[in-house]
Amino acid sequence: MGRLLISALLLLGLVAATAGAARDWRTDDRGVLIVIAKAPVKTRSWKNPYEGQSDAILAGAKLFRQHCAECHGDDARGLGRAANLRSSFVQNATPGELAWFLRNGNLPAGMPPWAGIPEQRRWQIITYVKSLGTPTP
Amino acid sequence: MLRNVILLLVLAAAALCCSPHAAAQETPYFVAYSHHLEEPGNLEVEVYSIYGTQKAGGDFIAPWMELEYGVTAWWTTEFYIDSQTTFGDSTVFTGTRWENRFRPLMHEHWINPVLYVEFENTTDADKTLKEVVGVDNQFDAAEPNSEANRSHTHEIETKLILSSDYKGWNFSENFIGEKNLGHEPWEFGYALGVDRPLRLAATPQPCNFCRENFILGAEMYGGLGTASAFSLSGTSHYVAPLVAWQLPNGVTLSVSPGFGLNDNSHRFLLRWGMSYEIGGFGRKLRSLF
Repeated sequence: MGRLLISALLLLGLVAATAGAARDWRTDDRGVLIVIAKAPVKTRSWKNPYEGQSDAILAGAKLFRQHCAECHGDDARGLGRAANLRSSFVQNATPGELAWFLRNGNLPAGMPPWAGIPEQRRWQIITYVKSLGTPTP
Repeated sequence: MLRNVILLLVLAAAALCCSPHAAAQETPYFVAYSHHLEEPGNLEVEVYSIYGTQKAGGDFIAPWMELEYGVTAWWTTEFYIDSQTTFGDSTVFTGTRWENRFRPLMHEHWINPVLYVEFENTTDADKTLKEVVGVDNQFDAAEPNSEANRSHTHEIETKLILSSDYKGWNFSENFIGEKNLGHEPWEFGYALGVDRPLRLAATPQPCNFCRENFILGAEMYGGLGTASAFSLSGTSHYVAPLVAWQLPNGVTLSVSPGFGLNDNSHRFLLRWGMSYEIGGFGRKLRSLF
């Protein structure tokens, strides 16, 4: 029994260490972080139903503090492995790409999928994130 | 010894007070599991209890504690400590459990599988009813604590968790296979869950008592017999509505009355509990060393 448990622990540790090594910070030709740019092309045309709405920005800021600030920082500039959300590679992404990425996450790199919170709230978070910076050309 | 325990409690309280909170996205089921795992690096401390009526014995309250940690974005591990009090009998510690959940697929799909493996080191006096399998029935819990707590069981519990999100709803289906390592046959069970927040979009203002923070849902669970007799004969089944209140400070309060659906089931169960999510626990722990 003890041998079985030790083997299981070793296996779990090995798998975790392997997965933790996967990172990808490259950007595509539009300056979008490659993991966001992996979103299917059709997502680029998705419209944010709350785009530019001040109430959605406030709600998104509230949700950001609850769900995102722990890793991305209160100012959204990123902590540790978490991306700077004010950077051009996030701000240059379309709302649809961000919606896809928020829903799916990037599990190997430590970004959890946020499909567990309703779609409306994810759009509110995107509205807030987009309000933080101006896309670079 | 007592001084060490007090010191540990004070340190734990200080850590909780000084730690940043985080709001979880996990569904507030008591028995069923969805595919939403603990966020990586977060620790969720959960304290739950169940009250159950008992035919041919005293009613009981079985409290348990869960420490749930997000190891990675696709792996959550959890440690349980179980106990119970049977009215007119005694209070006993009934064992520990260690579970792990893994997401094999890296993206969201219509149906999202999660693999679940748990090792249980409990006694027959365990009444937490975290799962109902095989031909579990209410008369199993009628045995006096002095006898039931003498019988230790080592079990491996596996689950295939299937879960979907659609327009704010979560639908979860769990298929359970449990094996007593003492050469007993596989026992099977199921758990189903559905829930939805009362309001899907968030309001601009911070609020505690508002619809967006409440989740309503229901669970149904029961046994499916054993490998040698895969049938509903002799099994027990329950249905349980639930409500959860997710406060923005990381605390979630939940309650769920459950009702037995046949004569093998406890007639009434009441589960309640509180959880607190500590954001960035792993990072802070690593920074100490």
